[in-house]
Amino acid sequence: MENYTLIVTEKPDAAQRIAKALDSQGKHEKIEENGVPYFLAHRDQKLVVVPALGHLYTVVHQRGRRNYYPVFNFKWAPRYSAERRAKQTRPWIEVISRLASNAENFIAACDYDLEGSLIGYSVLKYACGDKEGVAKRMKFSTLTKNELEKAYEEPLPSLNFALIEAGRTRHEVDWLYGVNLSRALTLAAKRWSGRYATLSTGRVQGPTLKFLVGREKEIQSFVPTPYWSIRSEVEIKGSAYEVDYETKTFEKKADADAVVEACKGKTGEIETIEVRKLRQKPPIPFDLGKLQTEAYSLFRYTPRRTSRIAQRLYLEALISYPRTSSQKLPPEIDYRAILKKLSEKAIYKKLASDLLGKDELKPVEGKKEDPAHPAIYPTGNMPERELSEPEKRVWDLVIRRFMAVFGEPAIKQSIKACIAVNGHHFYLRGRRVLKEGWTRFYKPYIRAEEVLLPAIKEGEKVSMKQMMREDKFTRPPPRFNPSSLLQKMEEEGIGTKATRADIIETLYSRGYVAEERIVVTDLGFDIADVLGRYCPRVTSVKFTRELEEKMEKIQTNNEDRVNVLVEAVNQLKPVLEELKEREQNIGQALSKAIKRARMQERIIGNCPDCKTGKLMILYSRKTRKRFIGCTNYFKGICTTSFPLPQKGTAKPAQKNCKGCEWPLVFVRMKGRRPWMLCFNPDCPLKEERRKRDEMQSLREGS
Amino acid sequence: MKCKACEKEAENEYCELHEKAYRNISREYDVWKKASDVSWKQYLSEIAKNPYTGVWAREVAESLISEIR
Repeated sequence: MENYTLIVTEKPDAAQRIAKALDSQGKHEKIEENGVPYFLAHRDQKLVVVPALGHLYTVVHQRGRRNYYPVFNFKWAPRYSAERRAKQTRPWIEVISRLASNAENFIAACDYDLEGSLIGYSVLKYACGDKEGVAKRMKFSTLTKNELEKAYEEPLPSLNFALIEAGRTRHEVDWLYGVNLSRALTLAAKRWSGRYATLSTGRVQGPTLKFLVGREKEIQSFVPTPYWSIRSEVEIKGSAYEVDYETKTFEKKADADAVVEACKGKTGEIETIEVRKLRQKPPIPFDLGKLQTEAYSLFRYTPRRTSRIAQRLYLEALISYPRTSSQKLPPEIDYRAILKKLSEKAIYKKLASDLLGKDELKPVEGKKEDPAHPAIYPTGNMPERELSEPEKRVWDLVIRRFMAVFGEPAIKQSIKACIAVNGHHFYLRGRRVLKEGWTRFYKPYIRAEEVLLPAIKEGEKVSMKQMMREDKFTRPPPRFNPSSLLQKMEEEGIGTKATRADIIETLYSRGYVAEERIVVTDLGFDIADVLGRYCPRVTSVKFTRELEEKMEKIQTNNEDRVNVLVEAVNQLKPVLEELKEREQNIGQALSKAIKRARMQERIIGNCPDCKTGKLMILYSRKTRKRFIGCTNYFKGICTTSFPLPQKGTAKPAQKNCKGCEWPLVFVRMKGRRPWMLCFNPDCPLKEERRKRDEMQSLREGS
Repeated sequence: MKCKACEKEAENEYCELHEKAYRNISREYDVWKKASDVSWKQYLSEIAKNPYTGVWAREVAESLISEIR
């Protein structure tokens, strides 16, 4: 085989796109070896573009068993040697190693960020045989042909080692914390109860759980207090308009009653009319956090889902690299070229053309910068396949936001009329848009409504149409949702843009939190309690943030990797000693929590017969068969029971049947589609289905 | 000693979590009294049935009501 340049990418999709872009005739060739795809392209020389599969190497314990701690000796090793689920990385490494042995030049073309740099580095170092020192680096923010060609023709002379060091350190510190603390918790519980359950915590997971527990405590111990307000309407030219009383809330019921008494059925007079113009600036471009927040608020997509959709759109060369903290759009991305391409799509044609007609295009920008990538923007490319509905939505959101940042400020008019009634004052408020400005581009995603008022003038008499006291109560603070939690993590400076969404998902998968409006489970409470009591430093936001800042300084060569690692170990040692000393107490507390959590997981709902017991998935001691029974059976009160399928898994669906309102059970069986089982033998839906089947068989018979 | 609201081990009358709720209940009574001059008993039954009351606060309120009875 002739000599060639080996280009390493992060994922297969990116490899294919790079090969396609770099082949001078656009005729790249796909080869598959042992299930591993790679691509051949011809340009000035032969190119072999080989993808990694995300991280192919990971931090592992240098030697020793899994069931002890502390462990501070680590090394980087292939993922297949450490993780049971990473077996597929073995052929991947073998293929890359074979291709590297004949390669003349090496180029890393992974995403230009912490993770991407580390993936490229570890592949070049371990799979290619210490080629990290001679490899060049392609730097790009979109997978468009032009940018990829430019990145190939003008590569950086070497890898970004500062970024790599920062990435390595982050993985190593996270490993030290994760493996030691998780082992301490898991082993404490196992030694006490004799049963194994995976319990985990980590450097960022601990403080994040602490926020949630803090909020949950406020909610659960909240005591509402009463207050009152006035609900009133005036009639102007035959129509009713809501007006606000001058005092928003009353602490005493009697005070609110006095206002109602004084103003009910009275005629008021418009004393003053205040008209103001408001300029609403365009929004700033999306960084990943802002895109995740907006997608959650508009479409209810979790941050992780948005991140994945955006990643797919990036791999399709439809948007720029999404894992960015930048809120800036440099002119080099060529605004006009993007808008020109967007104007080819009918729905953006008019909007993009209007922007193209401007003499100067200057985006409104946010403060945050990212040295590696600009803010998220559309490339202007059109999809090469039919996008899914969620992909379409996120793509449209990115496009409209991109156009909106070039828009003029929106101008709104607000009107506030003060109405005097028997010595009291009410305010009539209206608002309307005078000039749409940037909102034209972002219209589908703007929710503010206009309140149009009739023509009114000072001195005009109006009659009070409705006047009533409203009884209200203060409410507990809102629960976090995945999006607001992500924002909180961002504000507190813990985690990175690439890891925050995954950390939130881990809290769900470990059973520490549940539901969209996040509720902390008993297990979550107990884990947070143990960590807070025995190793408060681990859940300290301040400590976590300081460590994050130090790791960020490695990126700019202002901090040394070894110093950070030594500090992390020094902080961790006393914590682990304390955990070991108290292992018995911790084990007892956690075992109880695990037992409660396991019981909780099996509870289906309230018993429809005795009304006081709970229906649970139980196992017969005699037959080992699975069934649904009432918890009151053990007290000798209720003998209600229902059969369950014996194969596969069955767990509470946390939903009720539409036909009978009984709780449903989610059943998953090999070779069958999972289904929701209503175990009510008299469910009307079952009856309907039976009749339908009977009719069907009759029809077939006739 | 067992917590009066949940029967978990506690150092005082209530466990740590219900203690916090109890403190809130005691503190907010002043606001309720000023607002609508309710008795302690009325106050407890009001908050026990209020949908915005937290679970632990409700449990403490219910245990206090049962003590009064």
